[in-house]
Amino acid sequence: MGGVKKIGEPKRLFSSTWSRYLLNVLSAALLCLALVYLSVSRAITPYTSSLIVQIGYNIILAVSLNLAAGFLGQLPLGHAGFMSVGAYAAALFTKSMDLPAMLEFPIAIALGGVVAFLFGIVIGLPALRLRGDYLAIITLGFAEIIRVIINNLEFTGGAIGLRGIPRHSTIAWSFVWVFVTIYAISTLIRSRHGRAILSIREDEIAAEASGISTTYYKVIAFAISAAFAGVAGGLYAHTTILLPSNFGFMKSAEILVMVVLGGLGSILGSVISATVLTILPELLRGFKEYRMIVYALVLILVMIFKPSGLCGRYDFSLGSGIDRVFAAIRAKILGKGGNAK
Amino acid sequence: MTVLYQLINGVQIGSIYALVALGYSMVYGIVRLINFAHGDIIMVGAYAVWFLMVRLGVPAWAAVPLAILFSSLLGMGIEKVAYKPLRNSARISLLITAIGISFLLQNLAQVVFGADPRMFTNLFPGGIPFGGKDLPYVTVVTVAVSAVLMIGLSILVSRTKIGKAMRAVSEDKDTAQLMGVNVNNTISFTFALGSALAAVAAVLYCSSYAQIQPTMGSMLGLKAFVAAVLGGIGSMPGAMLGGLLIGMAESLTKGYISSKLADAVVFGILIVVLLFKPAGILGRGVREKV
Amino acid sequence: MTVLDIHNLGINFGGLQAVDEFNLAVESGEIVGLIGPNGAGKTTIFNLLTNVYKPSRGSIRLTDEDTLGKSTHAVAQSGIARTFQNIRLFKDMTVIDNVKVALHNGMRYTIAEAFFRMPRYWREERKARKTALELLDVLGMRDMADHTAGSLPYGAQRRLEIVRALATNPKVLLLDEPAAGMNPSETAELLPTLKDIRDRFGVAIILIEHDMSLVMNICERILVLNYGLIIAEGTPEEIKNNPVVIEAYLGQQRGE
Repeated sequence: MGGVKKIGEPKRLFSSTWSRYLLNVLSAALLCLALVYLSVSRAITPYTSSLIVQIGYNIILAVSLNLAAGFLGQLPLGHAGFMSVGAYAAALFTKSMDLPAMLEFPIAIALGGVVAFLFGIVIGLPALRLRGDYLAIITLGFAEIIRVIINNLEFTGGAIGLRGIPRHSTIAWSFVWVFVTIYAISTLIRSRHGRAILSIREDEIAAEASGISTTYYKVIAFAISAAFAGVAGGLYAHTTILLPSNFGFMKSAEILVMVVLGGLGSILGSVISATVLTILPELLRGFKEYRMIVYALVLILVMIFKPSGLCGRYDFSLGSGIDRVFAAIRAKILGKGGNAK
Repeated sequence: MTVLYQLINGVQIGSIYALVALGYSMVYGIVRLINFAHGDIIMVGAYAVWFLMVRLGVPAWAAVPLAILFSSLLGMGIEKVAYKPLRNSARISLLITAIGISFLLQNLAQVVFGADPRMFTNLFPGGIPFGGKDLPYVTVVTVAVSAVLMIGLSILVSRTKIGKAMRAVSEDKDTAQLMGVNVNNTISFTFALGSALAAVAAVLYCSSYAQIQPTMGSMLGLKAFVAAVLGGIGSMPGAMLGGLLIGMAESLTKGYISSKLADAVVFGILIVVLLFKPAGILGRGVREKV
Repeated sequence: MTVLDIHNLGINFGGLQAVDEFNLAVESGEIVGLIGPNGAGKTTIFNLLTNVYKPSRGSIRLTDEDTLGKSTHAVAQSGIARTFQNIRLFKDMTVIDNVKVALHNGMRYTIAEAFFRMPRYWREERKARKTALELLDVLGMRDMADHTAGSLPYGAQRRLEIVRALATNPKVLLLDEPAAGMNPSETAELLPTLKDIRDRFGVAIILIEHDMSLVMNICERILVLNYGLIIAEGTPEEIKNNPVVIEAYLGQQRGE
């Protein structure tokens, strides 16, 4: 999967895919250890700690929606519905089980993901026969129905909500799931399945004519997107109580805003915008009333002036980033000696 | 007898949905945008009337037209500032902007008026005795006004020059422009008209249901939107039909099944329509050229 | 050997019989031309063969298979590939990725194997890259592999569509106006290229074209369509002098 090497280019440090993978994994592990150390040594307050967890599940929400919106090119407006399904599934599991946290938490989250995945298939199969605006509306409709049903069921706690969920979500766990999500979606996109998904976004008719089963890939991409929304929901559930009213169209719209601002089709963009949009409201706490207004204005302005979002379709590779920095440095040094390569 | 009352109820709320759905349909027909902010125009219209009457003491017969005017201007303004620059962009950008406007309106209202619900006086108090109970004047006025407006709108669209322009731009914007139609003005007019209807709907709705709050536009708008889709988005008679059907469905569900499930039924209808006839009852599908 | 056998194909669009009584038997390796005035139904026939439109009647047999009613992607997998009149490339993907999409069904690794980056993933991706580059080479596009498809000049875009179609390993190649918008030198290059493709891959080619220099020089057989019906069939020589054909074209011109 390496790029075409142009002749005459200086040797790249991270040219082989193995070296890139190693770099990415090591960086991720380092970052995780740093965060965990900081939280354990009380350098991070519990407040900041919960904020980091929030950033974590917001990243997962944004990246997962990006799969369906940015990479598949659809417009799902019901992402919060899948989040809620995963949240309730995971929460009900941990509440009814009495295993040690290390064991029951990952199972609960995985369960949330699986249940959301199944919902994704059930909803995706009929919904993805529609295009564009119609798909948007129907996903919105399904999410609303899910919300009303949860609101009216006994075992979900109904409108009063589900309470007493163990607070399992820690920085370390969020990090693990963020990593899994980004890893899964990145590897998916950089594979033949990912190309199939992208081709549907580019031109569905041409994709079919090239032998791609568009129905299969639309549903699968949609379901995987839903699955990770469920994972995020599971993480979210173990930080608070669950109220169906929190999973309405507003929530779906907020997630969509994160993805669009970051750039549809850019995982890096989603990570950045999810982080910023989680932290910003907290920073603006003093202006609580005005913060939503500012938020809305920013959204509108970005759409009018830079609709491709922060990163556009650009996606980041740590390895090639470092290579480029080295190449620039090399060019500067060699350039001074009158010997630019 | 209760069946009759449920039906009358349904026609009443259905008329309101119809008025709002018309706005959605007209705008969708002409710029292919699902104007998520449309529901919030209703809210703005309601607050405008309230503000004029309660805070400024303007009498009803002046406050209502002023509020309608304000809503129209607001609708046109939003189109000019936020939607027009994106006319040739990807659909998703337009949609997000509409969502942004919706957020903005809701939160501005919350900041200015507070989040708590306000009381709205019934502009048409009293009723006519009818089969044991009183048939509220509000109901009669709602249905009558809606009917008149819908007839008026139909005449406007089919007989007048601006109506023809609206239809032309809906079919083919570029050709309409080549034929001398002022596309920008036509679009502005459509938004103004839709917003005006929304304001009327707001007044009628609030006279019946008394409370106004910043989030009132959301659910109302969403259901009216379902009505527009049911009838066939882009089709005006469709919007009217859809509105009435949704109104009745909601009213009958509340009366005979459960008021909590009314919302689910409305969205259930949406899904059934989209799965079996996405173009809606009166809509036409468009084939993509390969 | 007959590779594509079309019988009595027809479609009705709400009262308008867009195509009717279309019969064609294509031999393996044959190059057949499909010409006619605009709106005659030529692209419609391509759409019928690939099930983008569902035929109202008729049958389509590809070697031994009945492809009528199969979904478009299944038809592509069976061996009918096409290009489009209005270019339909994956504009934001690279040239080589455009080709790799069409190589999709030649690969077998599952999503799980991609997730765990199993050996089969690496093997098949390497092979796909090699195959894609080779195919691009056939149309002289190897050095454009990493360019974005949307950034290519028009003629190159048309050629990429052909490469992409070839990548599905087809038995029949449907080319919809491959020379449209090309300048005379590009069109001239297309002639030996198409023959090369036929010789190298053994595909039969059905060619919709308006450029008569291409059609007359490369097609072994030509069908002329007007108002959805075949009005003439024969060798280029026969068609050139056929009065019915001439009238169909001239009649069209008179109306302009």
